[in-house]
Amino acid sequence: MKSWSHWSLKRKFFYSLNILFLLLLVLTMIIPLLNTLVVSLSSNIESMKPGIKLFPTEINFEGYETIWRKLELWRPFYNNVIVTVFGTFFHVFLSAMAGYVLVQKELPGKKWMTTLILLTMMIPGESIMIPLYVVNKDLGLLNTLTGLIINGLVSGFSVLLMRNFFLSVSYELAESARMDGAGDFKIFLRIYLPLAKPGLATVTLFEFVSRWNHFTSALLYINDDKKYTLQLALRSLIISSDSTSSSDFITANVRMAGIIIALIPLLAIYPFVQKYFVKGIMLGSGKE
Amino acid sequence: MNAYKRYAWLYLMMIPIFLYFLLFSYYPLVRGALISFQEFRIIGDRPFVGFENYITVLNDPVFWRALVNTLVIGGGILIIGFAFPIIVAISLNEVTRVGFKKFTQMVIYIPHLFSWVVVGGIWIYLLSPDGGLVNEVIKALGGKPTHFFTQDEYARPLMILSAIWKDMGYTCILYLAAIVGISPSLYEAAKIDGASRWDEIKNIMIPQLYPTMKVVFLLNLLGTLRIFDQIIVMGNPAISRQVDVLMTYTYEKGILEFKMGVATAASMLVIIATLILTIVARKVLRYDEEA
Repeated sequence: MKSWSHWSLKRKFFYSLNILFLLLLVLTMIIPLLNTLVVSLSSNIESMKPGIKLFPTEINFEGYETIWRKLELWRPFYNNVIVTVFGTFFHVFLSAMAGYVLVQKELPGKKWMTTLILLTMMIPGESIMIPLYVVNKDLGLLNTLTGLIINGLVSGFSVLLMRNFFLSVSYELAESARMDGAGDFKIFLRIYLPLAKPGLATVTLFEFVSRWNHFTSALLYINDDKKYTLQLALRSLIISSDSTSSSDFITANVRMAGIIIALIPLLAIYPFVQKYFVKGIMLGSGKE
Repeated sequence: MNAYKRYAWLYLMMIPIFLYFLLFSYYPLVRGALISFQEFRIIGDRPFVGFENYITVLNDPVFWRALVNTLVIGGGILIIGFAFPIIVAISLNEVTRVGFKKFTQMVIYIPHLFSWVVVGGIWIYLLSPDGGLVNEVIKALGGKPTHFFTQDEYARPLMILSAIWKDMGYTCILYLAAIVGISPSLYEAAKIDGASRWDEIKNIMIPQLYPTMKVVFLLNLLGTLRIFDQIIVMGNPAISRQVDVLMTYTYEKGILEFKMGVATAASMLVIIATLILTIVARKVLRYDEEA
């Protein structure tokens, strides 16, 4: 491509217009985030004052103190960590296991097993929320973190993704291990899992993000506020005004501090997300 | 015996997975179908009442209102959320500076990682009449502050725009990956024919994006009928008539009012609509025909 100085005036004009368009788009993303961060770092009094807040004039952790200690956000945060860590671990393991089975050649019944798993992707989770609620109630999973971990233990999407990753693992390698007397579970653990690290990373990241952000299941199955997970607690603290007594007015810095706290783990994994997501999205959304 | 031993472990490994899907996908589906024909009570028997729940739903003006809202909000998200990222992806692809390109891509993708509670929290504050940035700017320019989230005329556009804001970067990356994958030889041929950059975009890039467009459209289409947490988080009593959707209707009827039969009948209708929509869309888009 020829450089800027060789471009025609018309080309320069359109190129600049294009950059301007993208800059505006970037600003619509950055300004809300910057505003949130700056307000979260202001004092109670400062956050109530009117004015445009995009540059920090002070660094004050009053908001963080209030939401973490006084409003006890630490508890739902802790619950969220439990659900996310265990939920993600089991989800990845089970999805990988199913993916491994589905790449076996000549396995009788493989076709209908695959179909049954793919069909679950056609059932929109929200539209069966009432019977799901009944199932959780019957199994005694309401108001337990275990229930939140179990709901979403495996998904058709993740199984499909792992299957697609395992397809690239050499079949001969597994076959020779089998000759040496290794069982399927051992082959899965010792050969397939280590060779599909990018696949595992992708599914882990996907699941980590969706577990960290899980909301609907907690809304349906949890009403004991000791068992609240992060999104549920944040919703009642920062959005529903009726959930707070008037004596305990929650100022903007407190609310924004809650948002930043919820974002920290996500932003921490973002560099990895960038590395694996695109590939994962393509594999997951790709056709058979 | 040998063959049985050969595969036993594999079937054993599948048991937990199928147990899960059985309990949390297939059984609820069947159970839902049953509940939708029952008068649901917590205690005591649950008599079958035929199509009574369905008739109740279809005679409920709130259901029809939710359907209209779903079509308007979901349709808006579907169309804009499908088309706008194409423009952004093409625009990004034109950028010659790698650093700026990467940075933009990174920034517009970030909100996709956020939960609706976080997105809702950010935007409700941003647009709030007391201290929200948008209203502060309006005031600085001499205007009167508006309580955006309680106004009927802003309710649906806000839902659509916030959904676009959240997921645009994700869709954009899908398109961008497809654009990058276009064989350079296609452009070379066009260059020889003296095509301008605009011709190249119109005649080469966009047709090459068709397969990705189909995937995106189908994925988003299925999403439109499922809108739920966004509305639960960002809706409020002042605008509920404008933004209540089918899934929030089900939730309110079933979980809050405990009319599970009626709620399940409504969601069964949604499942049927989803299936029909998927089949029709796949046919129209000829999704399954080419490799």
